[in-house]
Amino acid sequence: MTSKTSNIVWRVIDLIVGGIFIYAGVIKVLDPVQFGLDIDNYKSLPWFVSVRLAFYLPWLEIFCGLAVIFRFLYRGGLSILTALIAVFIGATIAAKMRGLDITCGCFGHASEHWNFPQHMAIDLAILIALVALLFASTRRADVRST
Amino acid sequence: MKTRTLTFTLSIFLCVAAHAELKWEQNTIDLHPGVGDKTAVAHFKYQNTGTTPVRFKSVKASCGCTTTQSQKEVVSPGEKGEIVATFNIGDRTGQQMKTVTVQTDDPNPTQATTVLTLKANIAQALEIKPSFVYWQSGEEPKPKKISIKASKDFPAKDITVKSNSPNFESKVEPGKTSGEWTIEVTPKDTSHPMGTALVVQTDYPKEAPKSFNVNAQINNPPGAPPALKPNVPNAPAIKTATPAAIPSASPAGGVER
Amino acid sequence: MKLRAVREGLLLIALACLPAIGEGIYFRDKISWQSPIPASELVTVDQARAWGDGAIWVDARPDEEFGRDHVPGAFLLNEDHWSELLPQFLPNWSPGKKVVVYCSAESCNAARDVAKRLRDEAQLKDVFVLQGGWEEWLKKK
Repeated sequence: MTSKTSNIVWRVIDLIVGGIFIYAGVIKVLDPVQFGLDIDNYKSLPWFVSVRLAFYLPWLEIFCGLAVIFRFLYRGGLSILTALIAVFIGATIAAKMRGLDITCGCFGHASEHWNFPQHMAIDLAILIALVALLFASTRRADVRST
Repeated sequence: MKTRTLTFTLSIFLCVAAHAELKWEQNTIDLHPGVGDKTAVAHFKYQNTGTTPVRFKSVKASCGCTTTQSQKEVVSPGEKGEIVATFNIGDRTGQQMKTVTVQTDDPNPTQATTVLTLKANIAQALEIKPSFVYWQSGEEPKPKKISIKASKDFPAKDITVKSNSPNFESKVEPGKTSGEWTIEVTPKDTSHPMGTALVVQTDYPKEAPKSFNVNAQINNPPGAPPALKPNVPNAPAIKTATPAAIPSASPAGGVER
Repeated sequence: MKLRAVREGLLLIALACLPAIGEGIYFRDKISWQSPIPASELVTVDQARAWGDGAIWVDARPDEEFGRDHVPGAFLLNEDHWSELLPQFLPNWSPGKKVVVYCSAESCNAARDVAKRLRDEAQLKDVFVLQGGWEEWLKKK
């Protein structure tokens, strides 16, 4: 693959991943009360923490999604999104092991019809894409510095 | 030595390869019971896609209003089955969500417990707001309004209102659109505490038109002990620790439901 | 490179705070910041007991559980037999009385649902959900 083609491919992945997080963030920004209840469903955090996260996390997702799309504060955005999705995957597995019914994932109630394997598959795919983008960005930075 | 290594490796491989896995067709089922349905039934289908049998250890519903039935206790590899969850609607309305927690003997902890969710949107045939009107004892007997709205699944064209008590008068006025009405309830006398159920009789369905209750009462003056016996036909005898024993408003004959 | 990622990340974390705080201010009256049920609708066993005769207790559990044991003086009012039980409860209510609804524990929804129906359909004021439910009542007994 030529350098130009690979740049295009990475750009497309940037747009897809950034777009997914902006979409996910906007859905939750529109109904933070419901998102607070969804976080509370995991029974991992007390309510007063869940409700504050419910207001904050969606905006963080939107800003990081924009950072990835516009490649402004790019690596910071990628790092935060990678950390977010990794924590979310861990919390979902832990909840599942405790027998909790987690009907909503990072897409809020839009994903309530997905089952556990579907949720995990999508989340892992996003994680892999983020990690790949991070590596690609590191390589580009290394190439530029040499 | 080579044979032992091979046997050991094979047994490890077999242990890893041999696994139980119950795959569910759907973890969440959305039901839309019709108006007047007494139950909503969800069929949660599964299949054992693993290589060892799966045994159900427990199947528990989140509330007493949902009963569950499991076709089998042990599911052999490749076998299919279903868990039937029956939600008794009772007098519930609106969006309902009930869960069934299934525990199996799967050694994988993430798969041993599955939570199945039954969602049902119970359409309210008639939206009655408010369903309860009251006056204080001695208050001026001004009329109070109750708005009635039929849902689109309940095409009632006309309603009539009957009161058990001659003390409460009611008047029905049609609303601006079809399926909407306003009931005006006026007590003749508010000097004594009394209560009644107003029966809102619809004309739907034709074979057995449904009726609904609205409650109206004259309350005690503040500070007085409760002094009312409900005047509702066919009310079941439900025990309370301190039953209210009071003279009832004069019954005007039973009203058919 | 790593330091740059950390700096950028911290900047994004800080930037996201601004709209989040704005949204929190907008929703400040529409949400309970301490409990999933608005604080104005929750009551502890001690608070409810302190109301004495000013409180009227409602048991939102299934019939059998009520039959086994219940708060003395409580009225059974569950969604299984709502239309039959409501007319039995209402004559014992009067404006000024505080309605305390309970179900088996903090985690059950029946009390919340019954309280909501009393507020929305019967339009009663001062309807509360007992924090901890029947379990909490038994502990404090």
